[in-house]
Amino acid sequence: MCGIAGRILGAPGTVGKDLVDLMDAQAHRGADSTGFAIYGIPRETGYVLRGMGFSRDKVDSDLSHFTNILRDNGSDFLKDPEILIDSNKHYCFRMEISDPKDLSAWITDADSLANSIEIQSCGRSLEIIKDTGGASAVADKHNVRDMIGTHGLGHARLATESSVLPNASHPFWARPFSDVAIVHNGQITDYFTWKEKLKRKGYRFLTENDSELIAIWVSDQMKSGLSMEQALKKSLTSIDGCFTYMIASTNEIGFAKDRFALKPLVVIDESGNLAAATEEQAVRRIFKGENDVINYDGPSLTGIWGIGNRSLAA
Amino acid sequence: MSEVIVEVGDRHIREINEEIQDLCRKNKKIRIINTLSRHNLGIGLPPNCELSFEGSVGYFCGGLNTGAKLSIERNAGWACGEGMSDGMITVGGYAGMSVGAAMIGGTIHVKGNSGPRCGVAMKGGNIIVEGKIGYQSGFMAHSGKIIALGGAGDSCADALWAGEVWVAGPIDGLGVDVNVVEPTAEEVSEVDDILKPLGLQDSSRDWRKMVSGQRLWYFESRDANAWLMI
Repeated sequence: MCGIAGRILGAPGTVGKDLVDLMDAQAHRGADSTGFAIYGIPRETGYVLRGMGFSRDKVDSDLSHFTNILRDNGSDFLKDPEILIDSNKHYCFRMEISDPKDLSAWITDADSLANSIEIQSCGRSLEIIKDTGGASAVADKHNVRDMIGTHGLGHARLATESSVLPNASHPFWARPFSDVAIVHNGQITDYFTWKEKLKRKGYRFLTENDSELIAIWVSDQMKSGLSMEQALKKSLTSIDGCFTYMIASTNEIGFAKDRFALKPLVVIDESGNLAAATEEQAVRRIFKGENDVINYDGPSLTGIWGIGNRSLAA
Repeated sequence: MSEVIVEVGDRHIREINEEIQDLCRKNKKIRIINTLSRHNLGIGLPPNCELSFEGSVGYFCGGLNTGAKLSIERNAGWACGEGMSDGMITVGGYAGMSVGAAMIGGTIHVKGNSGPRCGVAMKGGNIIVEGKIGYQSGFMAHSGKIIALGGAGDSCADALWAGEVWVAGPIDGLGVDVNVVEPTAEEVSEVDDILKPLGLQDSSRDWRKMVSGQRLWYFESRDANAWLMI
C-alpha cells in the first residue's frame, strides 16, 4: 500500500504546499518515505538537478568527481551547489547547470558515479525531492511548502519489495528524459523479466524498486517514438501486476490503471484546477466543499490532463 | 427520537466513533456533518439507531454494522458496509470498490453506481444498486443477492459461489464459471419483494440471474482444462 497524488494549478502557485497537504492526508498509506515532483516555472536554458550522495563524509570528493564529468560534457554550475547535510548518513543536493553538449551522454557519464552520488531529477522545471520519513518531516527538511509551480506529483511509500532508502523512494525520474517523473502505487510482477530486457538495451537501474521499472520502461517507449498517451495505453498490456501510476511532464499529467482495478484514484477537476489522490479524503484537503469527485475505479484506464497557463502572472 | 449533531472535521476518528456509539446506546437520532470523506466513520454500530451523514464518507463507513440504519447523502469510499451482519445502509451517490464486502446480513442500497467487486465474498444480505455495478462484481460471493438495475461491468459474477447476481440492463462481460439462468416467476417475485420497500419495484424489468457454474467448486489442480477455464 502506497499513496500517490497529483496537483495541477490554473496558474503558477503554491503547488508545493498543496502536495504536502495531499500527502500528509495519506501519510498512513506509507510512512517509510515521501517524495515530491514539483514543476516550477520553466527556464529557457540550463537544468536544475536534484539528488543525493550516499555518504556525507564524502561530499568534497563526490563533488570533485561530479564537476569533472560535468565540465567534460561542456556544462558547468550556474551557481554554487546547495548541499543539505543533517544527521542522516546521506546528503541531498540541488544544482543549477548550463546545458551539456549532449544531455543523454552526460547522464550516462554521471551515472558512472551513481554508487556514491546519484542524480534523481534533471529538468528545465522539474525538481524531485524525496527522503525518508512522512510528508511533514520531508517538507520541513526540504522547504517543499515554499516551492512555487504549476503542477506536480506526490508519493508516500510503504516499502514492500526493496529497501527503505531515500533513493529507492518515489517519484522516479524517467532518465535520461528531462522533466519526466512517475509515482506508482502497486506491485509490478514481471519486474525482473523487464529489468533484464531493458538492461540488455543499455539501461541502468539504480535501485531494486519495481517502480523504477515504470520510469525506465516509459523512457524506453518514448525513445522509440511513442507519446506519453501511447506509452500509458501500451503499459496496460505490456506490464504485469496491479498498479495505478501517474506520470508528469512539463505539459501534462497522465495516469494508467491496471486491468485488475485494484488501486484507487480519485480526482476533483474544476476547469483545470485539479487534485488527484489515492484517497478522496486527501483531495478534500484541497477542495473543502462538496465538489464532484471522479472515481477512476474501473480496470484498464488511462487519462491525461493538460497543464494550463505556465507563465507567472504580471 | 431526538436528533443530535456530531461534527467530524479534523477530529480524531476514534473520538468521533466513541461519541457516536454512546449516542446510539441512548437511542438518539444522529446527524453527522462536515464529514470531509473521512475514513472509518460509524464502525460496529449497535441495532436500533439511526444515522445520517451529510456529504461524502471515506473507507469502511458502516463496517461491521449490527443493525443500525445509516444514510449517506453523497458518495461512500471503499468497502462501505464491510462485514455487516444486519441493518440498512443507503448511499445517495456512488459507492466505491468492494461495497458490502464479506457482509453476512442486512441491506445496502446504492442510488448511483458502484465500483469494482461490489459484494465481494459476501455471505448473506442484499445489495441493491440502482446504477451499474463495477468490474468483477459478485466475485466469490458465497450467499446473498446483488441486484443491479442499471447493468454490470466486465467480468461480472467472476468465480461466484452460492450467491446470486441479478442484473437488469447491459452486461459488459461475464466472469469465469458463471451461468446465466432464466429466473422463475417465484424468484422474480422474491426480488420484487426486496425492491418494493425501496420504491424500486418494476414488473417490466428484463432480469438476468447469474449463478455459479460450479466448475471451480471442485477445482482439480492437475486437470489442465480447469486451468484453461481461469
